[in-house]
Amino acid sequence: MADTLQLLKCGVRFEPPTLVLSYKDWKSGKLRRRSMPLRNFNKNTGIDRIIEDLNSNPRHARFIRLLSTAQLQRLLTIVKDKLSGLSLEASIARNNAMDTINPDENLNRVDPETLQRKKLIMDTSFEQKRKKPGDPDFQYNVEVDFETAVVETSGWDSEESDVDF
Amino acid sequence: MAANTQPDYDKPGDEGEERIKIICLGDSAVGKSKLVERFLMDGYKPQQLSTFALTLFTHTTEIEGKKVTVDFWDTAGQERFNSMHPSYYHQAQACILVFDCTRKITYKNLPEWLKDLRTYRPEIPCLCAANKIDEDMSMTQKTFAFAKKHSMPFYFVSAADGTNVVKLFRDSIRAALAYKHNSTDFMDEIMKELENFELDPKYNSKLNQDGTQRNGKDSPDDDEDADKEKKDEKTDAADTGQS
Repeated sequence: MADTLQLLKCGVRFEPPTLVLSYKDWKSGKLRRRSMPLRNFNKNTGIDRIIEDLNSNPRHARFIRLLSTAQLQRLLTIVKDKLSGLSLEASIARNNAMDTINPDENLNRVDPETLQRKKLIMDTSFEQKRKKPGDPDFQYNVEVDFETAVVETSGWDSEESDVDF
Repeated sequence: MAANTQPDYDKPGDEGEERIKIICLGDSAVGKSKLVERFLMDGYKPQQLSTFALTLFTHTTEIEGKKVTVDFWDTAGQERFNSMHPSYYHQAQACILVFDCTRKITYKNLPEWLKDLRTYRPEIPCLCAANKIDEDMSMTQKTFAFAKKHSMPFYFVSAADGTNVVKLFRDSIRAALAYKHNSTDFMDEIMKELENFELDPKYNSKLNQDGTQRNGKDSPDDDEDADKEKKDEKTDAADTGQS
């Protein structure tokens, strides 16, 4: 299906739980808003299941596709936090932390939810840079020799008391 | 092969071919699975060995005219427990140790992974890869002392754009074979092989051939997608013109 929709804004309403998108339909040139009620959503509902439901809903799928999985996870988590009694401020702070990649944070130690969210953020960036078979500049075997270009140390080896290094 | 048993990598496979086992190690989210997937390309369905909490990618290739079956073992999130089940290391003939060059902590954790590896496999060749160079190309201008200190071959790679992924995996297969064939000083051997790999045009052209075949086999589905995207773009452009 040729998609003429462009996502402008996304957000949620709490009463009742609803996902709201603002978009422009380039076919008609009109700005529109789409509200998608999140039925049977309570604090015990798995977010993956809600996403599955939205994606398989023939009326909503076209609009859900406009969001990245990372965005969708974030919005639904905010709704779920609210249903669990967390304040909006606390929820946004928690979600911001989950959506930020800190180069010094050990992801082997975080809870599965946080790891999943951080992987989604990384995946979004991965997909943007990805070269796939069929892309005009795709090559299966890409070899680049960086050895001769080395000019400075990473700094990741200094400040080191670690004997293993 | 039953879903929950390990093959015996010391014995030949069903058709008498060599079998080797190569394990991937490194922190959560450094891109280990994405690297294996990039080497094997799309449409490849790995096998889940649930008992061992790992993912197994089987790859068949030809090295110097001989058929070799390679199992790449991937952690399937087991690294979250900070060390792997001993069965993960059992019979492994080479290791690919990965860090994320945009996240310093993943580099700082390399000694832990190496220590774990050496507890079970004191001598197998280990190759070190700095992944995600596409995120920050300036990292390729920098030196990382860890690999050199432990005499490991070092690769700047990108699972996203493919840089040096095939080279990394091809080298790991050759290193595993060199180890399996009981080289007395296998590290010298690997380093020598790596030099040959650079210099031998015959080998390189063979590699390219492999690559072309692989593309041919995998591309139909993707071409379809790409065509569709192009069509979408055109439609979008036309609509924009109207509005």
